[in-house]
Amino acid sequence: MPAPLARAWKPALIAGIVVVYVSAVGLIEQFAEVYAIGTQVSLARVLLLLPLFLAGWVATRTTVERGERKVLAMPQAALSGAVTGLVGGAMVSIVLLAVDAIDPDTIGEVLIAVSTKLLGIVSFDQSLGTGIVLWLVLGAVVGALGGVVRALSPGARRVVLAGPLTIGVLAILQRVVSTAIKELGFRPDFLYDSKTSGLTWAGGIAAAVIVTLAVVGRDVLRSRPEAAAAPAARPAAASTGLGGFTTRQLVQGAVAIIAVLALPWVIGTALSGTVGTVMIFILLGLGLNIVVGFAGLLDLGYVAFFAFGAYATALLTGAQVNTTDGAGDPAFSLGLNFYVAIPIVVLLAAGVGLLVGSPVLRLRGDYLAIVTLGLGEVVSTLVTSKWAEGLVGGPQGMRDITGGDIGPTDFQNNPRHFYYLALVFVLLALYTSWRLQYSRVGRAWNAMREDEQVADAMGISTTRYKLLAFATGGAIGSLGGALLAIQLGSLTPRSFDVNVSILALAVVILGGLGSLRGVMVGSLALVGLPGFLREFEEFRPLALGAVIIAIMLLRPQGILPNVRVTEDIADEDRDQDAWARAAAGQPATETSAVEPA
Amino acid sequence: MILAGLVVLVVVAAIKTFTLPAEAGPGELSRYTADTWRSFIIGGLSEGAVLALIALGYSLVYGILRMINFAHGEVFMMGAFASYFVADRFSDNDFLSSSPAIAMIVILAVAIGVSVLVAILLERVCYRPLRNAPRLVPLITAIGASLFLQNTARGFFGPQARGYPQPDFLDGSWNLLSFDIARIDLVMIVVSIVLVAILDYFVSSTRTGRSMRAVALDADIAKLMGIDVDRVIVTTFAIGGVLAGVAGVMFAMRFEQISFTTGFRPGIAAFTAAVLGGIGSIRGAALGALLVGLLRSLGPALLVGFNIPSVFQLEDAITFLVLVFVLLYRPGGLLGSAAAEKL
Repeated sequence: MPAPLARAWKPALIAGIVVVYVSAVGLIEQFAEVYAIGTQVSLARVLLLLPLFLAGWVATRTTVERGERKVLAMPQAALSGAVTGLVGGAMVSIVLLAVDAIDPDTIGEVLIAVSTKLLGIVSFDQSLGTGIVLWLVLGAVVGALGGVVRALSPGARRVVLAGPLTIGVLAILQRVVSTAIKELGFRPDFLYDSKTSGLTWAGGIAAAVIVTLAVVGRDVLRSRPEAAAAPAARPAAASTGLGGFTTRQLVQGAVAIIAVLALPWVIGTALSGTVGTVMIFILLGLGLNIVVGFAGLLDLGYVAFFAFGAYATALLTGAQVNTTDGAGDPAFSLGLNFYVAIPIVVLLAAGVGLLVGSPVLRLRGDYLAIVTLGLGEVVSTLVTSKWAEGLVGGPQGMRDITGGDIGPTDFQNNPRHFYYLALVFVLLALYTSWRLQYSRVGRAWNAMREDEQVADAMGISTTRYKLLAFATGGAIGSLGGALLAIQLGSLTPRSFDVNVSILALAVVILGGLGSLRGVMVGSLALVGLPGFLREFEEFRPLALGAVIIAIMLLRPQGILPNVRVTEDIADEDRDQDAWARAAAGQPATETSAVEPA
Repeated sequence: MILAGLVVLVVVAAIKTFTLPAEAGPGELSRYTADTWRSFIIGGLSEGAVLALIALGYSLVYGILRMINFAHGEVFMMGAFASYFVADRFSDNDFLSSSPAIAMIVILAVAIGVSVLVAILLERVCYRPLRNAPRLVPLITAIGASLFLQNTARGFFGPQARGYPQPDFLDGSWNLLSFDIARIDLVMIVVSIVLVAILDYFVSSTRTGRSMRAVALDADIAKLMGIDVDRVIVTTFAIGGVLAGVAGVMFAMRFEQISFTTGFRPGIAAFTAAVLGGIGSIRGAALGALLVGLLRSLGPALLVGFNIPSVFQLEDAITFLVLVFVLLYRPGGLLGSAAAEKL
């Protein structure tokens, strides 16, 4: 087999399968009417061609031969990418022909997403013959692009990718950005087409050009010799402002604070609600991060704390249970002020953490995961059951949760007000996590996570620190529950199923175990994105599963790794070099899967 | 302690079954007649039969890879769901009643084929690259895979539950030793016993079975002895897939329904069974499944006396509590031994 083809067939096959999969699972039809630019580039089409781009990219990987790195020259890279894209396009074409021959609507009786309409969408709204020609041509072009981009130097790659990535981000965040422009008093027409709600060609290209120029400009500035020397000289030269921070840091900090404070007024009411939900999951993520990320205890029943926080807040502030004929008083209830109730809820949740933690102390790893999953399910079964009807309303849930309002605020009906309440809670949890991380406790967790037996031998009471992790994690999780109760004003047990535990876990894993920034990014991506791009909501669980698998296979330290945890993972890699090599997709002697952060 | 509790529970149930009069008498347990208790027990046995087949999938994989294949419940669901479309077609054109034997073979073949395919893909894509990774990594991957497969089924086959046809020859009941037993229940129990026996023979007496045991004992040494470890692992996943496929068809025919969430709870219950019996042990998994099945069906009924409203919603809670207690007090399971040290 000629070299490009030998490299091409595997990525091409996988890309072909991915294209067929996303079509059959219903993603393509869902995104067919979501436009990125004009009416020509819909997100569905991007989704169809992206796998071929990536296949071209993968096929053009550098190879290591006898310890020497071989980088493909540009024409070779373009060729290898084009061949890969072409093969991938051909595979998709074969499937299209087969589907057409069998009759798409017959297949649709089994695979419900498949229909004549889908066949049309995948054929780029052309006849089947034209569609296939397009697949072959576009496949080769897109694959070649992937190969070329791979072969570029990192600097050039950044410049080339800046424009398309800008367009991608603007297209995905079309609702957020256009609302923001409106709220700021401008008309978004110059950027977004009001009919398709996607970008206009002029606006999209302008934005891409501006960002590309900015990237080029920055690179040029940095590469000047005097600028390159500057960072070394800066600490001496720069005026140290307040409290030992440089002026630059102060300015950045001020901008960040203003941005965070102004956010709900920029993005509008509806999206503020989404951001509120994101913050609830940041709280859940931060709490779970202590248990899983810091202490290394995989807890799959974390929803229990979420539910506890929500229901305890409801009961302590005097909410009512739903009954079949209206509302009734729960079996136990106090009419406390919200701010009095919160500390009590948090303390109680810490107690529940101890209660849950103490029996499972002896279990490790996967058994712990299963037992906590079981406990979480027991909690949600009990809350849903008729047994608990008198206390928490059973399947009907609770309502009339009020409180928390200070003066003119209205947390329940005004998401903007709620945002600030959530912000206070999140900052509290962030500060706690941050302080814990570098404290004696944090170091003890760290040691325990790395090697429990050694930690024990070094005099760390693993029992105590495990319980502490469960209690702290539970307390923070219950804050999330309390916020949910305030946000919704009513509770149903459906909000507390196992999916919440898994979503929280995915939030922590995506960002990186033990990484506080990671939790925020993870929550924004996994909770925020489906809210910003409503078409995506239905596919969130699917995406969660895919994200978890992909992160674990490709980048187990997460996208914004915690340096310390990453070092631990890297340590394990050194012992387990086989895995490291497999994860990096490289033959021996190359660097490990984990680059030093 | 747990063991004693279980034994007491089963014995009580058995005594109640055979001593209660046919008509309801006075007292707390009187809500149920002897016939009702019998039907609880048979229901429990047949549920246990399905659970046994799924539990073996967990147990075999755990024995070899020391990891919980969290997505195994989805393997079971995928096979059953795929076979639904064949079964439904056969039911529409009366093939299922005119030549049930051939129809059943085709349905089973489809279910087994899909389950095996999913199981092998799962191993190849998700678990093999992580074989030497820290233990939490493959477990988290398995959770992701479970979610992914579940929602793939949702996207492929639709979110609504489908009515799974039951062939005529399994409808109704047979009279056995003076009491009636639903045909489907009896078939499930018999099929399960036969398969467990075959598997037991396979693992203990064939060449492949021997290599499986060798890999379970020590994969590195097994490799040195010339065993193709990768192949053994794939075989193990495939066997799990076969059993899950059969279990899927039986489960779907028993409850006459299938949906994309069908895999989750039987999966957890079967895992409980595997742990209860002693994970890694075939007979243990079968025994554990039997007990879990009985417990799920009898447990709520025995609690009726305590005036808990809607007690039958609690069967999952009972399953989980059993799991928690077994892991806490006898992590090796009833028939397991050394597993406890490896926790």
